[in-house]
Amino acid sequence: MEDLDDLFATARASAMQPSDVLMARVLADAAAAQARPVAQTVAPVRLGFWAGLAALFGGGGVLAGVGSAALAGLVLGFVQPVGLMNLTDVLAGTTVDTLELMPGVDALLAEE
Amino acid sequence: MPRDTLAELADEALVVLYANGDPDAARLLAKRLLPRVMGYAGRLLSDRAEAEDVAQEAMLRLWRVAPEWRQGEAKVSTWVYRVVSNLCTDRLRARQRRRAEALDDVAEPEDGKASVVAGLIEADRMAALDAALATLPERQREAVVLRHIEGLANPEIAEILQIGVEAVESLTARGKRALAAALSGQRAALGYEEAE
Repeated sequence: MEDLDDLFATARASAMQPSDVLMARVLADAAAAQARPVAQTVAPVRLGFWAGLAALFGGGGVLAGVGSAALAGLVLGFVQPVGLMNLTDVLAGTTVDTLELMPGVDALLAEE
Repeated sequence: MPRDTLAELADEALVVLYANGDPDAARLLAKRLLPRVMGYAGRLLSDRAEAEDVAQEAMLRLWRVAPEWRQGEAKVSTWVYRVVSNLCTDRLRARQRRRAEALDDVAEPEDGKASVVAGLIEADRMAALDAALATLPERQREAVVLRHIEGLANPEIAEILQIGVEAVESLTARGKRALAAALSGQRAALGYEEAE
């Protein structure tokens, strides 16, 4: 068995070594495999309240537009500019002096 | 990542870095693993061209599996040795099917620094060892090469061959005995008679 161990030692020392050509082939494979597009798994990002709302409306720009329109409507409703009143009169055809939104309530108030 | 830092990393960490696109990780992995892969395949196949093909294929499989590599599951070297074992087994079986003569396929060992005469004796000894190894059943051959030439520990060999440690011990013991018997008739070729 001593001869055998001696032989093993020689075998270890004389093991086939990779040539430079083989090393180049292996590294070329590595570069090619690394460059191959790999399916990226991106973790879903948790949106905050405003980001979620913006996403619901189709983006922050759209949400800003909708918000601006809502604010403009509110302002026009309170301020009631003269020019706008004239326009609505023309469109409506009649002048409305009073508008009873809850006519039934007047009778109750009058009795008190 | 700087090369000095890379050099201190384990193979497993380098595989992950490679998968993340580090350009130097592959070079370092190849530098560490390719000589071992080549030596093992060369000893099993006794054919440089075939061993190079197997070594390249084993490394290619490592590059491809890298993105799914999970740390702590297996040592990279163990995994690569297992791939080489399987690839060599396939090739040896194909060779048997083609009824090629294994003894004629013995590759020329590389020139060492020894003198021409000593080099010839060494080449003869290695040719005799390869021929004797070729007579062993494939599992015995793999176990003997991994244990006595690659110098691996039995638990790692067990993992590579996917058998128990006791089975490895049995394979190496029987393999070594069979090898000794096969070589006993070739003492002259091994150069021992001159030494005695």
